[in-house]
Amino acid sequence: MGQLPFEGIRIADFGWIFAIPHATAWLGSLGAEVIRVESTLAPDLVRFLGGTDGFVGINRSGMYNSINFSKRGVVLNLAHPEAREVAYRLVAKSDVVTENFTVGNMKKFGLSYENLRKVKPDLIMLSGTPLGQTGPYANTVGFGPTTQAFAGMCHLTGYPDGFPCGIGGTWPDFAVGVAMTFFMLAALHYRERTGEGQYLDLSMAETVTAMLPEAMMEYFLNWREHGPIGNRAESMAPHGVFPAKGDDRWIAIAIATEEEFGALCEVLGAPALAADRRFTRLAQRLANLDALEAEIAARTKTFERDELVASLREHGIATGPVYGPVELMHDGAFLASGMLVELEHGESGRRVVPVLPVGFSAMEPDYRPSPTIGEHTDEVLSGLLGYSADEIARLREKQVVI
Amino acid sequence: MEGQSGKPQALKGISIVELPCLDRMPTLSAAMAAKAFADLGAEVIKVEPPKVGASERHEGPFKAEIPDPETGGLHLYLNTNKLGVTLDLESEKARGLLSGLLASADILLNPNVPALNERLGLDWRRLIARFPKLIVVSLTSFGSDSPYRDVRGGDLIATHMSGVGYETPINQVTDPPNEPPLKPAGRQADYLAGFTAAAAAMCALFHRKRTGAGQHVDASLWLSMVSMIRPSIGVYSHDTPEAPYGVRIRTRDKIGVPWVYPCQDGWVSFSPLTDRFWRGTKTIMGNPEWAENELFATLTSRATNHDAVEAGLVDWLSTQKKQEVFLKAQAEHVPCFPVNTPREVAENPHYKARGFFAEHEHPVAGTVRMPGAPCQFSRTPWRIVRGAPRLGEHNRRIFVERLGLAESEFETLCRDGVI
Repeated sequence: MGQLPFEGIRIADFGWIFAIPHATAWLGSLGAEVIRVESTLAPDLVRFLGGTDGFVGINRSGMYNSINFSKRGVVLNLAHPEAREVAYRLVAKSDVVTENFTVGNMKKFGLSYENLRKVKPDLIMLSGTPLGQTGPYANTVGFGPTTQAFAGMCHLTGYPDGFPCGIGGTWPDFAVGVAMTFFMLAALHYRERTGEGQYLDLSMAETVTAMLPEAMMEYFLNWREHGPIGNRAESMAPHGVFPAKGDDRWIAIAIATEEEFGALCEVLGAPALAADRRFTRLAQRLANLDALEAEIAARTKTFERDELVASLREHGIATGPVYGPVELMHDGAFLASGMLVELEHGESGRRVVPVLPVGFSAMEPDYRPSPTIGEHTDEVLSGLLGYSADEIARLREKQVVI
Repeated sequence: MEGQSGKPQALKGISIVELPCLDRMPTLSAAMAAKAFADLGAEVIKVEPPKVGASERHEGPFKAEIPDPETGGLHLYLNTNKLGVTLDLESEKARGLLSGLLASADILLNPNVPALNERLGLDWRRLIARFPKLIVVSLTSFGSDSPYRDVRGGDLIATHMSGVGYETPINQVTDPPNEPPLKPAGRQADYLAGFTAAAAAMCALFHRKRTGAGQHVDASLWLSMVSMIRPSIGVYSHDTPEAPYGVRIRTRDKIGVPWVYPCQDGWVSFSPLTDRFWRGTKTIMGNPEWAENELFATLTSRATNHDAVEAGLVDWLSTQKKQEVFLKAQAEHVPCFPVNTPREVAENPHYKARGFFAEHEHPVAGTVRMPGAPCQFSRTPWRIVRGAPRLGEHNRRIFVERLGLAESEFETLCRDGVI
């Protein structure tokens, strides 16, 4: 397989939490040298989130380890004035700088784009923040899951006519992360053609709103506001999640045609439903959705989930089991997907890590375990940045490198 | 966004062919992936079925509910900056013309299932054998080499098989049997797979710049959504099942603080737990006596007593308006945002000040507003050069002027429904 596409590209990664670390994990897995800059004095809070196996420590988080693979880790206390010089040396040797601090923090550290491009004229810098670098509310703090509310996502997600909901999986952090990957690569492509770098100002909220065209276009075309519609769709019925036999067992079913609806009723042992005047055509089903869903739920709950999934799939119906993360981890097709890789972490040992969600026929990604904090500080500071052992010791003493 | 028409575009020179999804439950993932490229300057040739056009043309939302395949909201949004041609892929002549397009394309975005691709001779192995420099991107429900490759999926199924639906709504479920797992609004699996495919296609493009070789990129709705719950996977693979997060990923019961809370005139998102956020929260609440209880003294104790934290916070929020809480909380550096409705998003002064919503003149739909740049590029700005194409608008330009099809042959193929 040989060469990876980003060999020779170096990323000075000042990002933290989820979105930027996800974006840089893509590039690190495909050959870029990603140098993650952290500090024990202001650690990434994900380093203390779940998956610690009962151990307390900055290197034990399974969450952190599932997002920061294929990077090198360096510690640098950016709040110390002498850290600036170290950061400049790093940026001078890097192609891309990434960061997602609250607006103004990089400037406070002396690391604004204006400063950094003096050190590296063709630099690409990506800043990711809740609401972007400009505008009246630019100085907000927030995580993805709080920011999605601003973008319209929470209002639109919920049970029909119900309350606004937060979405699982720390939405939208990883959606924003993958979009960041695309934008960075677009900027890198442009730099390879022209030699020119640039600054990318990404607002998480804007990225989320750009993924809500149904509701936003409805507003702009008809000045009308959508509310939440649960699992339903506007042009399919039924389109939902129904109970199966047992506790907390659910099946998702989406019906696209009249033939599929007939087959569904057949499999459920209720062919009369397909002839029921309330349900014969899509328009009737959409008009009588509550009744339709109640009729279907009353029958699905008499079936074993996986048996019903299998029978419906035989009829070419779009259906699937509703998985929580644990069941997902035991699905044979997921295990065969290549998205789970076992890596040997410095403290946590051999652990399964979720890697890139895509396959490439001509590239073998280079997956390496997430760094323990500062794991590569010495080799980066001496090898890449040219500091002597004495200088590094002195920087440590002054709490610049910590 | 004013005055940017003279600026360069990041992806100018890249050539993309987007195929239509011919499934009876079509995914919009390829349309979103292609839009990501087109909006940064790549040339996207969108292939649609003759007469009916791409599926999003029929999905609305339509102005005044009057269906018109040229003016539906999703079509206008997803197809900005694209060239539109029509081809009936069932016809061998049409596939011959498609080959002509692929001969000079960099990337093919194909949202069809492997079985159909094989029947049409469009499976990736055959295409790459024929066009060794081409990057063939599959966008399927489960992955084109998956054991599920022939299983029907789509947005709802991929979402609920990924774990995202199971975790939604997060920490708000108090009556699990009557509150089923829930999907996020709209078609998030489609759109997320679109961005995932776009990012992966760029990776493959860089590989080709280094090696000269094309390849297959396999993107799926399912794994794109699974990528959203990677923290839970990390917890599962690192933790003891008895740990609090381990419990969280095995149940939908509310076992932590939710992200959204009701207030006087709507809802807000609010994150009160860390020490710093808790101090700020107490300050804006006026340091009430209940909050000083030692039950709330540490992050761990607040997490353990989340129901009490929530009750006290909601009690206070019931006296507050959402926009005011947002400003007060942010002044104390507490993560809090109003739960905005579509109108509040569309009319938001912050988005307006950033010029987020883009307006252009569309030849059929007139003045159209829509969400704009998801990322602001200082040198090569996102922009709308042309609105979504009319059905077959660029047929002559592409097939006659570019591929050199004879005028008489073009007329015949149009008449026969091939183009």
